[in-house]
Amino acid sequence: MKAVTQVVGTLSRVPGVIAAMVVGASDGLIIEASQMIGLLPGAPDSRKHTAALAAYLYSKVTRASDAARLGTPAFMRLEAQKGHICVVGASDVVLVTIVTPDANLGRVRLDMMNAARDNR
Amino acid sequence: MSDPTVAEAWVAAPLRRLMEDARLISGVLLYPSGRAVGQFGFSNAADVMSICALTSAINASARELGRQLDGKPFYEMHHAGAERQVFMARAAAGAQEFLFVGVFDRESSLGVVEIYFGEFQKALEKLLPEKQTPSVGPTGDFEGELNRSLDALFGPVGKR
Repeated sequence: MKAVTQVVGTLSRVPGVIAAMVVGASDGLIIEASQMIGLLPGAPDSRKHTAALAAYLYSKVTRASDAARLGTPAFMRLEAQKGHICVVGASDVVLVTIVTPDANLGRVRLDMMNAARDNR
Repeated sequence: MSDPTVAEAWVAAPLRRLMEDARLISGVLLYPSGRAVGQFGFSNAADVMSICALTSAINASARELGRQLDGKPFYEMHHAGAERQVFMARAAAGAQEFLFVGVFDRESSLGVVEIYFGEFQKALEKLLPEKQTPSVGPTGDFEGELNRSLDALFGPVGKR
């Protein structure tokens, strides 16, 4: 696998990505994370929360997908009012990005899938 | 999941929320002296008694170990078993310190437990009764204190 630092660096440079993280799939803890773009000084850093909950959500989605006999989910995107959370599973880790609403989601998806594929 | 039983009513709501949000199987909130404040997931006072005694001792050991190794006490510990995991941490509310030990399985994760434990700590801080006098530590009557708190959680001996 590419070094996690490299994966995070690559994903965080994709236009529209606010933060990119490599997170433990089973424990939801951050292994490597980029800085959060646009975070004002003193503002709460939500990366830890996002990482843990996104990994948790992905594990539930995996179970749902399995229950529906669809196999392992390839890509998960949560669309919210002010942006998206994208998650891709890669063996023992999940890649998580926080993305602006106007980002090129196709590019984000492709780069995340490529990074995950390199890890398998 | 059963509702928490508590020796001090003000911890009931935050403890229930922690239990539900973090999807904990069982948990005990106690003072560092070993006196139980609240619990969920246990039906047997003897189990809670053992957990309080062990958690209190583990906290004292870990605190000293942290000082020796890192110059400051450890704040939390995590043990991942094959099926279940144990999370143990200190929570401060004002000058009062508490210990919490919780058990979870694959329905949760360490990251999720840490997040909701952080919120639990904030809730304790917010809800701590103003008149409460900080615990000054063990009085020397460990067994008596523990039994009184277990009576509050499970009812007096003979009625449990």
